[in-house]
Amino acid sequence: MEHHFLDQYSDRDSLIHRLDPRVKAITFFSLVLFVILTPAASFSAFGFYGALLIILIAFSKVPPIFVVRRSLVIIPFVVIVGLFMPFIKGGRSLGNYSLGAVDFSVTYEGVMLFWNIFIKAMLSCISLTVLTSTTRFVDLLKGFETMHLPKLLIMILSFMYRYIYVFIGELMSMRIAKESRSAGGGKRFHLKAIANMVGVFFIRAYERGERVYLAMCSRGFDGTVRTLNRLKLNARDIYFSFSVIALLITIRCFAK
Amino acid sequence: MTNIESKIVEIRKLTYAYPDGTMALDGIDLDIFEGENVGLVGPNGAGKSTLLLHLNGILRTDSAVSIFGLTPEGSNLPLIRSMVGIVFQDPDDQLFMPTSFDDVAFGPLSMGLGADEVRARVEKALLDVSMSDASDRIAHHMSVGEKRRVSIASVLSMNPRLLILDEPSANLDPDGRRSLIELLKGMNVTKIIAGHDLELVNELCQRVIRIDAGKIVSDTLINA
Repeated sequence: MEHHFLDQYSDRDSLIHRLDPRVKAITFFSLVLFVILTPAASFSAFGFYGALLIILIAFSKVPPIFVVRRSLVIIPFVVIVGLFMPFIKGGRSLGNYSLGAVDFSVTYEGVMLFWNIFIKAMLSCISLTVLTSTTRFVDLLKGFETMHLPKLLIMILSFMYRYIYVFIGELMSMRIAKESRSAGGGKRFHLKAIANMVGVFFIRAYERGERVYLAMCSRGFDGTVRTLNRLKLNARDIYFSFSVIALLITIRCFAK
Repeated sequence: MTNIESKIVEIRKLTYAYPDGTMALDGIDLDIFEGENVGLVGPNGAGKSTLLLHLNGILRTDSAVSIFGLTPEGSNLPLIRSMVGIVFQDPDDQLFMPTSFDDVAFGPLSMGLGADEVRARVEKALLDVSMSDASDRIAHHMSVGEKRRVSIASVLSMNPRLLILDEPSANLDPDGRRSLIELLKGMNVTKIIAGHDLELVNELCQRVIRIDAGKIVSDTLINA
């Protein structure tokens, strides 16, 4: 069974796909950094950041609709954090509303705060979506590794990537086995069955962990996972990173 | 036509009980010589896997086991583990790295070999199992047969002198099984093949050991 939900489209070929993962990571994280460090009132700057992202998406040949849809996962968090800001934050009033017994007013500062959270979250999320859908997860990990991110963290991520599909497969076959034997029965009965499945799944995952550890020890594991660096930087990577970051600096300095 | 040169495994009165007291191995005596192809058969729970795990020091019992003349403990372990390659039954346990290349490189890298040597060994191991084009592939995108081949490559890259395969044909379709048999036939290394696939054992082995309830019940030469 093939699953692709982590790095869909990352195995395609485009100008962006071919770049070194380290260069891409640095470039897209700088984009996020610039977006975050831009004052909320610089509307045109955000416009330019957006335009830059649109150009990058066009070069990457990833369907724009996919990028937007995936970036929408951030919306619930934005709503939770930001939705009440226009009403709570004190400042210049934009309008008073009354809803039965409750009076509330919307303030300029509040609206700006919401805009600030919203646009920064959206642009950052789109930027990271472009990164993950143009870079294979394994290459990204390898890039992080050569950039000396904590080894333990990379190990955890790499095992997660390796085994998440195995676990999903196991869960799916357990579900099918249960459905195949389900004929009627009350809600309570099914709930109990699912609770049991969760327990069994936990034990299976635990046992899998033990077996994997044995396999690692059998091949000489001594506490450090070692890999070879097979990445190579070339001039194109440097040009790309350099020009995007130069553009970011220009936008940040001149757009108001 | 076994080419017997030297004893590589010597087991004397190996007894092993699981932590809960269940007897897994009960007085095993076994010698394995260089160049042999040994089949290890027996019902589920007979102690096959437990016995195999004693051969590279994952499980330890005092001075009952000697591998290449070494006791599998302490500072001998890295050397023993580089000489004894175990291919586990489930490729999803055996292949734990994100890509085939990293998996096949894992053993040589932990042996402390240099980058060029590791690269050469990975290339050769993948070539030996006809999976040269798979070095960048991700385990969950491969078929069971392909995963099995990469699993074998992941220990071949360590140049083992004893290759142990636990249920090598499990979950393989007939074609995959056939090509696995051909692959193993062409490998000139001492092998221990555990499992229930008697046909495969018959085709590859000159000696069959049957164990049941932790004891060796027969040890016979076949195809002689």
